[in-house]
Amino acid sequence: MGGHGTLFRVTSQPWLDVLDATIGACSDHQRPDLANRLRQKRAHLLEPTLRVPVVGEPNQGKSQLVNALINAPVCAVGDNVTTPAPIVIGHAQSPVAALVKEPADTPEPRREPIPVEEIAIRAAALPAGRGELLHTEVGIPRPLLANGLVLVDTPAVDDLDTVSFRGSHALFNVVAEADAVLVVSAATRELATTELALIEAVARLCPTVVVVLTKIDIAPRWRRVAERNRARLAGAGIQATVIPVSAMLRLAAAKSGDEALNAESGFAELVTHLQREVLGQPDVLARRSVAVLAGMAVQQLLAPLHQTVAGTPAGGPSEAITKWQTAQRQIDQLRKDAAAWQTALADDMADLVSDLEFDLRDRTRRILREMDKFFDEADPAVDWDSFGSWLDESLAEAADTNFAWLVERFDWITHRINRDLHAYRDDVLPRSLLEIDDGLLADPRELEEPRVERFSVGQKVFVGLRGSYGGVLMFGLATSLAGWPLINAVSLGAGILFAAKTIYDEAGARLKRRQAIAKAAGQRHVDDFFLAFSKDTKDILRQLQRRLRDHLAATAEELRTEIVQTAQSAKREADLDAAEQQRRAGEARTALQGLTTLHGRITALVPGGISLPRPRRSLTG
Amino acid sequence: MTGLLDQVWALLNRTLEVYRDNPRATGWLRWQADRLGGPLRIAVAGQPKAGKSMLVNALVGEEVAPLPLGDDALTTVWYLAGATPRATVYPPDGPPAEVPADRSGGRLRVDLGEWRGRRLDRVVVDWPARTLRGTALIDTPGAEPSTMERVATEADAVLYLTQHLHATDLGLLQALHEHPLAMAYPVGTLVVLSRADEMGGGRIDALFAAKQLARQHRRDARTRALCQDVIAVTGLLGYAGRALRPPEFDALATLAHAPRSEMDGYLLSADRFAGADFPVPVDAELRRALLDRLGLFGLRLATALIRQGFDTHGTLSAELVQRSGLTEVREAVARYFTDRAPVLKARSALLALEVVLRREPRPPAAALVAELERILAGAHEFRELRLLAALSVGQLVLPAELDAEARQLIGGSGSGLPVRLGLAEEPTATGLRHAIIAALRRWRDHAENPVLDEAARTAAATVVRTCEGMLASVAP
Repeated sequence: MGGHGTLFRVTSQPWLDVLDATIGACSDHQRPDLANRLRQKRAHLLEPTLRVPVVGEPNQGKSQLVNALINAPVCAVGDNVTTPAPIVIGHAQSPVAALVKEPADTPEPRREPIPVEEIAIRAAALPAGRGELLHTEVGIPRPLLANGLVLVDTPAVDDLDTVSFRGSHALFNVVAEADAVLVVSAATRELATTELALIEAVARLCPTVVVVLTKIDIAPRWRRVAERNRARLAGAGIQATVIPVSAMLRLAAAKSGDEALNAESGFAELVTHLQREVLGQPDVLARRSVAVLAGMAVQQLLAPLHQTVAGTPAGGPSEAITKWQTAQRQIDQLRKDAAAWQTALADDMADLVSDLEFDLRDRTRRILREMDKFFDEADPAVDWDSFGSWLDESLAEAADTNFAWLVERFDWITHRINRDLHAYRDDVLPRSLLEIDDGLLADPRELEEPRVERFSVGQKVFVGLRGSYGGVLMFGLATSLAGWPLINAVSLGAGILFAAKTIYDEAGARLKRRQAIAKAAGQRHVDDFFLAFSKDTKDILRQLQRRLRDHLAATAEELRTEIVQTAQSAKREADLDAAEQQRRAGEARTALQGLTTLHGRITALVPGGISLPRPRRSLTG
Repeated sequence: MTGLLDQVWALLNRTLEVYRDNPRATGWLRWQADRLGGPLRIAVAGQPKAGKSMLVNALVGEEVAPLPLGDDALTTVWYLAGATPRATVYPPDGPPAEVPADRSGGRLRVDLGEWRGRRLDRVVVDWPARTLRGTALIDTPGAEPSTMERVATEADAVLYLTQHLHATDLGLLQALHEHPLAMAYPVGTLVVLSRADEMGGGRIDALFAAKQLARQHRRDARTRALCQDVIAVTGLLGYAGRALRPPEFDALATLAHAPRSEMDGYLLSADRFAGADFPVPVDAELRRALLDRLGLFGLRLATALIRQGFDTHGTLSAELVQRSGLTEVREAVARYFTDRAPVLKARSALLALEVVLRREPRPPAAALVAELERILAGAHEFRELRLLAALSVGQLVLPAELDAEARQLIGGSGSGLPVRLGLAEEPTATGLRHAIIAALRRWRDHAENPVLDEAARTAAATVVRTCEGMLASVAP
């Protein structure tokens, strides 16, 4: 330790240059947060004092350790007493103390001097309603503190995970300002997982960490605990010195002036360590702090740069490229879809035509059968007119049903096409496409009345005479044998009978003939109707199909043009992006070189190289 | 009480009948039936190094914990009463296997052999000890929310150990109650402030300070919502008191009778006590054994006690056990857990049944769900617990003078009759009857007191029902 009373750091130090360069780099890379943190650290490092906070979990003996170090009951100790706000202990010619509070009404902290004897009581018991206690300042004359050492007793860290934001914030502020940190853990048990997590968190902000193992007086196996703790720290990649002490023995020794007891307390070693490693080497501490903090800052700057150089900026491929790729895929898909649409349309139409024809054929056949049955009984000569109107009605109905079916099926087809098209655009098939040209449906031909020969009275008389002639002759000859004249009552009677029979037979034969003619006429008419109507429907369907086909083809072409345009603009954008990225990568490479050089300088600050705690997965892991 | 258990048994059997064809449900239900018929299961939980094994030893009276399982093994160890020492390991996949175990010098020796370092679900130790009769102790691995969930499923009651009640501990206790199997009221939880001898750096008044701290926590509303009681204990001293051997006592007596001025310097630290130059003729080996057995605080206390007149092996042992807080723990276990075992077991079984009925609903089970609801809502024991919970967390406020008595009567301090009535140790039968009748009269008045509000009168009616039950149980 040098003989100078207070500590001055020469301002042109290599670490200071490196720190300034890092702050500059942070500002250049738009990381004001990192720059601010480093600037704060720079201010603290340039202060002539060395701040050493004492941190740890509750009831590990933090305050007792501080009291034993300065040999004065400054900090409140007790079984369930916790330190509510940091107590900052520095050197002063005569004992002084003050509470620093933040009144609710003004942002400026207010100092409130208090008697030294009352520190422990006043600092522990928060006076209500007079602003929040920020910290307590204590100054006492001690050779240990005379060289600029400032000890800070801190509130306990209960649970790093669940601790209130303000609590952990305050703690990490204290640690960020520190030159070295004493982490306190009782020797009665090994470091808990939570304590290890705390040490790791502290080491990230302030690399000079001393783990003070307290209460070795009541722990018979403290040597083994110390060894295990050292192994665990080494296993976690933390460079920390472990020093076992007993505040109890130190205070007892101070009371009795027993040198041997003081040596046993381990405090001699702790004080020596503080003087040699902390007070004696402010430069080394500063180098180490800068190495760790600047190193971490530079690494944070490097990460995005590396990504840029590697060509994959954060967030994956650029939007333009994605768009272009999507458009390419869409074109392929559209080509497949358009072919599928046409095939589906042709298939549907063919199906529809054959179905319609079958339906019409079926209906006309039924009409024919009915007609046959009708004319088996009826006489066309009498019933032709009523038959004619019935046939017209039946055919009209068949035509209507058939046509309605056509419309329905066709609706379904257009619906399906609309659905297919929906994948690409929202509009529906224009109504004009689906209008049916009325001229195509020809009026049905008039039913021709067949030539029906009627059985007139003259014909009847003639046929009757012809029949009666045979009867008169047959019976006249037979009766002439009996001596009767050829014309007699019997032969005349038979003649009349024969005449009636002949007329009757003739009438039956004529009816049959008329019926056959009527049937033939009806059949011809139905056939004509079928031919004409199915021709009409086919024409209509063909027309519709042609229109749809053309429409689909046109739509596909339109869509293709649209997509191709998108793809082209996306491609242009992507090309621009790539060029931009190329440029940025170039810049990044230059920046990277600068940062790597800086990193080299940072690493060179500490001869043995710096070791950062390994990133941990979770606090409890 | 038997009424409640009978109802639960009947419901369990009917559920078994309904789920006959479901092997998973049947397995789970049979396990519950075993549990309902078996001893009360008390888990000893807490963070690593909280002193769990030491408390198990102190409760059993012999050194049975910990088993050589390795530092981060997640194995629970069950201690059950048995005729001879036996140990069975339960691997997660495969049949259980017995491993050699024996007792030598009051210690359990288990040879885990090939199982050492392998993942095991649990190890079950049969141990001949009086304290294990009727209760099974479960030593749990270091606490994490996941192990706490397991504890909540496996145990009927929990002793949660911690040196100081920190935020982490409160979080873990919360996890214990958040498990779907737990109920809102911490009826089966006691917090034990362990390692009380290390309080205040091992000062001679450490145990006193620890007890004061426990009292402080007990009054804290946050703690009260999470446990029934807070007790300070030092398992080390409790076990030492029970297992102190004559040579050790002799050595302590020698130390106590050496001049104090000479001894005090050597009792300043463990190192000094075990050091090479020692003024009193007690050899280093024995001194180290004493240090292990009692700790520095224990040595200070034991020598002081001998000087105060506890100068025979028996009296010193008894005084050490008394001061260690072990007696309080055992009393609390008896009061809160063992006396209330049927309710605790019925509760565990009902909650387990609810799991089956909820996860595998089927039409015939609807009646069972209704029955379960009926028992949970109707059983007077549960009504008492709910009232207790409402009073503890401040959901229901009775006038101050009624609050304390109501809590005591419905079993807030323990469910034995004298405890409920706040009577001295051994009341006579008539004394008991008179006390019950007096309480019954008072509470009948409260139940009809128009000054009290509706909720308070309902609460008073519950207390009346409790008094009637008590009266029926002591009827001549």
